[in-house]
Amino acid sequence: MKKIVLVGKPNSGKSLLFNQLTGLRQKVANYPGVTVELKTGRFKQFELVDYPGAYSLSSLSRDEEIAVSKLNAALQQDDTALVICNLDATRLESSLTFGLQVQALARRHQKALVFALNMADELQRFGHQLDTAALSAALGSPVYAISAKTLLGIHEFRQGVLALAAQAEPAVPTIDHGDEQALRALSRSLSRQYGLSASLVLKNQNRIDAFMLNNVTGGLAFLVVMFLLFQSIFTLAAPLMDAVEAGIGALAHWVTSFIGEGATSDFLNDAIFGGVGSFLVFVPQIMMLTLIIGLLEDSGYLARAALICHRPLSYFGLSGRSFIPYLSGHACAIPAIMAARTIESPRKRLITMMTIPLMACSARLPVYALLMSVLIPERAYLGVLGHLQGVAFFVLYLMGIVVALLVSLMVSRFVLSRDEKSDIPFILELPNYRLPHWKPLIVRVMSAAKSFVYRSGPVIFAVTVLIWLFGYFPHDAGGLEHSYLGQIGHFIEPVFAPLGLDWRYGVAILMSFLAREVFVGALGTLFGIDGADENIAGLAANIQADGLTLGAGVGLLLFYVVALQCVATVATIRAETGSNRIAAGLVVGYGLLAYGLGCLAANLL
Amino acid sequence: MTVQTLWDAPKKATVCVTELLSGLNPLVVNRLHEMGLEPGQALLNLGRGPFNGPLVVQIHDCVYSLEQQVARHILVRSQA
Repeated sequence: MKKIVLVGKPNSGKSLLFNQLTGLRQKVANYPGVTVELKTGRFKQFELVDYPGAYSLSSLSRDEEIAVSKLNAALQQDDTALVICNLDATRLESSLTFGLQVQALARRHQKALVFALNMADELQRFGHQLDTAALSAALGSPVYAISAKTLLGIHEFRQGVLALAAQAEPAVPTIDHGDEQALRALSRSLSRQYGLSASLVLKNQNRIDAFMLNNVTGGLAFLVVMFLLFQSIFTLAAPLMDAVEAGIGALAHWVTSFIGEGATSDFLNDAIFGGVGSFLVFVPQIMMLTLIIGLLEDSGYLARAALICHRPLSYFGLSGRSFIPYLSGHACAIPAIMAARTIESPRKRLITMMTIPLMACSARLPVYALLMSVLIPERAYLGVLGHLQGVAFFVLYLMGIVVALLVSLMVSRFVLSRDEKSDIPFILELPNYRLPHWKPLIVRVMSAAKSFVYRSGPVIFAVTVLIWLFGYFPHDAGGLEHSYLGQIGHFIEPVFAPLGLDWRYGVAILMSFLAREVFVGALGTLFGIDGADENIAGLAANIQADGLTLGAGVGLLLFYVVALQCVATVATIRAETGSNRIAAGLVVGYGLLAYGLGCLAANLL
Repeated sequence: MTVQTLWDAPKKATVCVTELLSGLNPLVVNRLHEMGLEPGQALLNLGRGPFNGPLVVQIHDCVYSLEQQVARHILVRSQA
């Protein structure tokens, strides 16, 4: 199948254009470098390949390097029929510098190229008419003014692209514009002739930035945004979580009413509805977190947050760009580690990757939520803002960040040497503030929930079934205590005794080294069997009644704040750093630190 | 007209780039050129970010943030 290559600068609507042309579901965001992987989709008889956004063909960061090397390779292939260069129509000068570089590359490889000047709806809003015919003649390649958001000009663009890609003789750019300096001069003169006035484009942006980047108001706004983010994960998701919990409870009751008492009924109640069910209850929280991060990304605020955080983060050997992977790490560490590719400095990138697993990812949410239901009363003091469990959530998240910063500081000071000259400094383009498009947001939220369930579901299912089997048999031996699982648990109990935890927690912790969220399912199954309680909603109540002490509970929370319990994250760190030593070192190092903190809490509280 | 580093240039002032001092990574110099930070080009200093953070500058139709280390390597003079 012939290929069409889609390239462009970040924040130019490229990913949304890809969605509109292929109908494929893909992450669309308004932060530099979100597309860190190549995405492909079917566009009529062609394969459309979406390349990561790049500011220039001379790469500064790892993601740009990947984008540029892949683009070079694609242009050398015979099956590449056309290059679509997607640019921001409202910022012609900065866009055309990159556009002309890509055009020169396409010309060198004798490939056809078309310019898509995206976000043309914003030009219309300013009453600006772009003379695409004249610009096309000056550039020596076809130019289309489109809007992937409002679909303005998309039909004509589709027809034009398909016709150009199907041509036997490629429409190679006709003009050689000269060297790099000449390209920059040309982009300046063309933007003055055809582009929108900078004062018009940037008027609103600069006005909002005067507030958002102000010393006082900017810092306050940042704190408020972050606090609301964490608070809303808990409060806004609560009704949805209750609904899922009630649904699973009703389903469990309905299904088991047909079966009657016995091993099958016990299995369904304890392993399936008790184990897997108690993990599904937390999916709404993951969706809420993804939605809010998505809103912040697409609105353009995240780039400002990176700027605000740069100075404080630089004290810990990190970059302002580390903020985005850190924040994404609160949803899932895997894409966050990949997103660290946008950090130009290799040293800061490595430190960021090493500390991302300390961010409170969505897999920790079920564990935190369960333990907080056990330890903290569900009371609101100052309305929604003062929800005590929400505040505790915020503290736990903050704790993950604090530990990450301290580890970064130590690694930066004592492990990795610093070479100022070769280090790449912080340079960031601030995108325009935009109202997020609801479609990609909803797609993103759904796909986050789906991938969480698909990724963790099979592991949780396998582990809960295994635990149930080992815990249920031999059935007549005198309950869980004397089952196979009880025997294994008692064998490992001395390891967990200093944490103030009995063998059941030991088994659940051990199992959760595969993936953290397994802990809740495992405990659900264990307590289900132990208490023969068919009420899956009452896991927290069961644990409370069982007498988990405050010290042990807090110690357990601290253990989960620090420990690296995710096989997929370890594999991603190994792949991205290319080092087994770093990956293994992090598992052992964080494991020991987690154990130490847990012991301290259990003995001091 | 006084020549000073971009980091020290007054807030809200339009300045003109006179020179990029040596000492920066060549890749960074190239990127600065592509952004429009070349001798003779004008830019608007929008001020520093919170906590004495990176400098925010408007170069033609784009707004960028540059950290102190970079801004100190760019010499500018104020425009009449």
